[in-house]
Amino acid sequence: MKLPLKVLILAAYGIILSGTSGVYGQYSNHKEIISSIRSMAAKHPSLCTAATLAKTEGGKDIMVLTIGTGDKDNKPGIAVIGGVTGSHPAGRELALGFASNLLGNASSEEIKTLLGEVTFYVVPDLSPDATEQYFMDIKYERHVNARKVDDDRDFRFDEDPAEDLNKDGYITLIRVSDPAGTYIESKEDKRIMVSADLAKGEKGAYLVYPEGIDNDKDGKFNEDGQGGVNFNRNLTYNYEEFGSNAGLHAVSEPETMALVDFLFDRYNIYATFTFGPQDNLTQTSRGAERSPQAQGQQAQSSQAETPGQGRRMGSRKITSVQRTDEVVMRYASEKYREITGLKGSAQPVSDPGNFADWAYYHYGRYSFSTPGWWFPVERNTEPGVAFLKFAEEQGMKDAFVAWTEIEHPDFPGKKVEVGGIKPFVMMNPPADRLSTLAEAHYKFIVAMAEEHPELEFSNIKAEDEGEGIFRVTINVHNKGIFATCAEAGQNNIFTRIMRLSLQTSKGQTLLSGQQVQRIPRITGDGVEEFSWLISGKGTLKITAGAANTGFINTSVELK
Amino acid sequence: MKNSIIKSILAATIFFISLPLMSQNEMLFFQAAGTPGNPKVQVSWNRYYTHAGVTDLMKKIAAAYPSLVTLESMGKSYQGRDMWVMIISDKKTGDPGTKPGFWIDGNIHSIELQGTEMALYTGWYLCEMFENNKFINELLKDKTFYIAPTINPDARDYFANQGVPPRSGLMPFDNDRDGSFDEDGADDMNGDKNISQMRRKNPDGNLIADPKDPRRMIRVEPGQKGEYEYLGSEGIDNDNDGQANEDGIGGYDGNRDWGFNWEPNYVQSGAHRYPFSQPENKAVRDFIVKHRNITGAQSFHNSGGMILRGPSIQGGGAEAYSRTDDAVIDAIGKTGEKMIPGYKLLTIWRDLYTVYGGEIDWWHGGMGCFVYSNELWNSFLMFYDTAFTDQYEFDRLLLFEDAFIPWTKVTHPVYGEVEIGGFSKMLGRLHPGFLLETDAHRNAAFCIYNAWNMPKLEVSNVKVTKLPGGLKEVTARVSNLRMMPTHSATNLRYNIDPPVYVNIEGATVIAGMRVINKDLNRTVEQKDNPQRMEISNLQGYQNVDLKWIVKGGSKYTISVESVKGGRASAVAE
Repeated sequence: MKLPLKVLILAAYGIILSGTSGVYGQYSNHKEIISSIRSMAAKHPSLCTAATLAKTEGGKDIMVLTIGTGDKDNKPGIAVIGGVTGSHPAGRELALGFASNLLGNASSEEIKTLLGEVTFYVVPDLSPDATEQYFMDIKYERHVNARKVDDDRDFRFDEDPAEDLNKDGYITLIRVSDPAGTYIESKEDKRIMVSADLAKGEKGAYLVYPEGIDNDKDGKFNEDGQGGVNFNRNLTYNYEEFGSNAGLHAVSEPETMALVDFLFDRYNIYATFTFGPQDNLTQTSRGAERSPQAQGQQAQSSQAETPGQGRRMGSRKITSVQRTDEVVMRYASEKYREITGLKGSAQPVSDPGNFADWAYYHYGRYSFSTPGWWFPVERNTEPGVAFLKFAEEQGMKDAFVAWTEIEHPDFPGKKVEVGGIKPFVMMNPPADRLSTLAEAHYKFIVAMAEEHPELEFSNIKAEDEGEGIFRVTINVHNKGIFATCAEAGQNNIFTRIMRLSLQTSKGQTLLSGQQVQRIPRITGDGVEEFSWLISGKGTLKITAGAANTGFINTSVELK
Repeated sequence: MKNSIIKSILAATIFFISLPLMSQNEMLFFQAAGTPGNPKVQVSWNRYYTHAGVTDLMKKIAAAYPSLVTLESMGKSYQGRDMWVMIISDKKTGDPGTKPGFWIDGNIHSIELQGTEMALYTGWYLCEMFENNKFINELLKDKTFYIAPTINPDARDYFANQGVPPRSGLMPFDNDRDGSFDEDGADDMNGDKNISQMRRKNPDGNLIADPKDPRRMIRVEPGQKGEYEYLGSEGIDNDNDGQANEDGIGGYDGNRDWGFNWEPNYVQSGAHRYPFSQPENKAVRDFIVKHRNITGAQSFHNSGGMILRGPSIQGGGAEAYSRTDDAVIDAIGKTGEKMIPGYKLLTIWRDLYTVYGGEIDWWHGGMGCFVYSNELWNSFLMFYDTAFTDQYEFDRLLLFEDAFIPWTKVTHPVYGEVEIGGFSKMLGRLHPGFLLETDAHRNAAFCIYNAWNMPKLEVSNVKVTKLPGGLKEVTARVSNLRMMPTHSATNLRYNIDPPVYVNIEGATVIAGMRVINKDLNRTVEQKDNPQRMEISNLQGYQNVDLKWIVKGGSKYTISVESVKGGRASAVAE
């Protein structure tokens, strides 16, 4: 009798939550994401297929939507990735929103043509185990999958999770009044706790911890909760050995492995768009700093190896955006601001081993990444203070849990309060903003797709040199703004090198020039010239391309 | 006496009913020092074995010594071959999984065959010597060996049956990035399962046959006319792209695929997509992470006569090498130099080259183990001479030209008439048969010495003293009797394995402490769980004294347990 009652109460709680205006309730849970993916594929069978790439440790499916027509894996492709980390459910909404907008417009001439030229691979949800925490009775920003991991390396597993001490359904913070503490209330907004600055004559008055109990009595709170491995720290670039939630080694998780394999198998992909914490579309700085991972990276690469000792392979590492890629990045940034109308910049988030950096540095493709939504933070302002100001301006009512006193078993006799900014609200827009944001980002990605690498033959010449000998000259021109391969990928064995092949007809011989030759890379609007010396009249057939550009053919009549 | 011979023959017959060879009659021969006099499993150590042959020998050894050997498959190779590992320990003296473990693998690079025979020899030798050799007998009481003779069985069989494989396994790999996989490999044009050199008569060439040994091609002196040119290794341009043999089978590197300091292909050639993207290495990883007791490891490669130690990149990345670790690694390696003449202890990044994602860095950095990689065979072994190392002379005088493929005419579709010849794949990197057993024994002995130096724990000096108020004081000493610590510096830095635990049973423990100085009564108390004292690390030959204040009981058991250091206990009344 007790159980159904509890279920009823929970159900009622859910209804109340989803009824409240604002942040919670309108985001889709994993089940809804999966059913949206399946229904898109069912509704557009000629354009779109859905496939399962992997099952997470938590038993949830990682799915991909492949959208396009024709020989899908042999023409330029774009990967759209979402849910790279569990605290960012907006990422998967925007990725899925891209697919839904694309399919919704598929009957327009523009999109119909585009789908013939470019294939889109949409993987919206890579952290389903973690993101599900958003929909649980106790909500916290969880980044890790369901693999049992001894996060704090004390040989006990998942022994110190968070506890909802004030029973409000959110994990926020606790503050303990204690002269040994190093925190004080911010002068700009008393709700926010900031570090006391001795140089300004400030002395700490509070200890601040995440909301919970120190279950394993090691002085740290909630440092070994349920799970796991953070997808966005599990990739190979700038991977942190023994890093927090990084996994046993890079690409240790089924979802990471499946995605990486899926992408490596698609040689046609020339760019990836990630909706995640990293941003390289609105950052104003250039070069290395433009990388989402500007801070604290390249610890390894900065170790110069002693000249003359050993082979200096470290020097082949790429750790900043390459010159010709930078040009395209700048173009993309300008287009992004123009199309989305978004102002300011997102706060830089450092995740060693993250997906967006991997896509550029180790996958060797153009990689764009944005959280899709952010709030303005002025210089030298505490982000929490800036956020509460922004929330007020935007009419977001539900963003803060007021500090309330509780009894805490770890601090008997001390004043302990629970409170703070609610989880998720700083990284995820109110749900009613999602559809506008999805449409804006859809338009941006389509604009980038329209500048895909595209080959054409131009300036075809056949000069008669006398004695039945012809010099044939041809230009291979890339009509797109994107190079046939990002510069970062030109030496990556998992990108293709285009081939130009010449087929002579009977009675013709090749006097000079190769029958098959390599075209390593053509930059945006770039041209490569080739010529052959041929003896004998007849038809020459010429083919050029690779999976990432598609293939073009022409024939030349020698007479 | 007779009776026991009959018994042993009977036993052997039961074990090897299907074998043509059985334990031979003792009357026909007698034991040489240091080798099994009458092995239950007869093996010729002067030839190479296919994966089926290796499997067969391991099954025979496992069947002959069931109280020592467990044979397990770690998983399957790309083509579905079993990845075997022999677990060898005296099972009667404790669970092999609780003893310090020593790992040996071979043949990660497919052309580096002999590591397999050396690993297999080690396993065979341990089993065959167990009963009659005191040292081996005690070693298997204390330690467990994990021996995986080949961790690249697909390409091993390709070597044995088809031709010359790359270093890698046989997963298709598009080396020339044209969208076709493995479409332009070398071509065995004379069908001898070797890929040798092609030479062509050319008056403008810069080579002539050496008048002293016409098999050898030598460069002409300036002003002298040549007779031949080299055209590279046997093959044709199968994909018509103007390059020959640029995309053969496989073509990555199994030893650039491990989950530590990994870098992609454009930084570290040979790397695949990500760490453990090769099924063979993944199977090894899965096995190792379940056998945390493995403390020491040995990987066999060829060639050059090297005992290689880490780090493989300058500074070692996230790895840590403490001075005490370095001292242990160097001490064992230097002894190895004495045991294996011609071999030198070298540090990979400094003395060889930088390697990212190498196996031994994963062992040391990721798993917190002590590890060496031996590059088997070097030219010194031909004449036991560092100066005179002429392979043609060696082949002529000692192998009777068995390792040379005589130059033979073949018509090449592009080059016309060419000659194919040169040293076969069996010489240059591989031991010839007659030296295989010698070097196998020396390398096995190095592994055995190395394994013996893994920690051996002991509890001693247990004393009970009565205290006022009905309390008692129990003291005990915990020692590591060997050179290797229970925790390497990396292991300690990243808490890879739990600390050494010392438990006291049989009483209510009031307090527990580590005695820093007995005479001055300096102690450090452990406030939590004093009945299970934690020692972060026991260095080689280190003693730690512990003291408990207890209530009640009369018989106290003090036991020490360490994942990589093994277990021991003592009782006090």
